[in-house]
Amino acid sequence: MAKQPPRPVKPIKKKANQLKAAGVEQVDYKDVALLRKFISDRGKIRARRVTGVTVQQQREIAKAIKNAREMALLPYSSTAR
Amino acid sequence: MRPYEVMIILDPDLEERTVQPSLEAFLNVVRQDKGTVDKIDIWGRRRMAYDIQKKSEGIYVVLELTCTPQTVAEMDRQLNLNEAVLRTKVLRRAA
Repeated sequence: MAKQPPRPVKPIKKKANQLKAAGVEQVDYKDVALLRKFISDRGKIRARRVTGVTVQQQREIAKAIKNAREMALLPYSSTAR
Repeated sequence: MRPYEVMIILDPDLEERTVQPSLEAFLNVVRQDKGTVDKIDIWGRRRMAYDIQKKSEGIYVVLELTCTPQTVAEMDRQLNLNEAVLRTKVLRRAA
C-alpha cells in the first residue's frame, strides 16, 4: 500500500511589511504622497488585503483619503474608463 | 479652548501676496474671542484634483488655531460668505 503523500501545507504568507511601520504614526490627510500609495490608479482606496495594514490603520487611511478628496488633493476618480 | 486646523482654498485669481492681509480679517475673529493663531501656512497655488467652481487651481492655506468651538464655527461661517473662498475644512487637531 502506497502511503499517501503528506498534504501540502498552505504556506501562510505574511503580507509584505506594513509600509506603515516604517513610517508615520498618525496619518495626515495633507500627506498626499503617502496616501497615493493606498489608492489605485483609478483613484479607488486599496483594500486591506492588498495594503496589508491593520484594521485601525486602514480606517485612518480611508478617513484621510476621504478628507483629502474633499479638499481636491486627491481625485474621486481618475481617468474613468 | 481646543486646537483646530483649518484648511482654506482661495480663488486662484487672487494675488498671492494679498492673501496674508486678507486673512487677517478672519484671524481677528479668533483673536477677539481670546483664541490664538498658532500657525499660518500658505502653500500657494496648487493644481486641484478636480475643478471647483470651474477653477482648476486654488491657493491653499492651512491655519492652526486654539479657540472655542463657537469661535471656529463663526470664522468658518464668515469664510464661506466670502466670494474668494472656494472651500474650507475645519478639523480638530490631535492634542
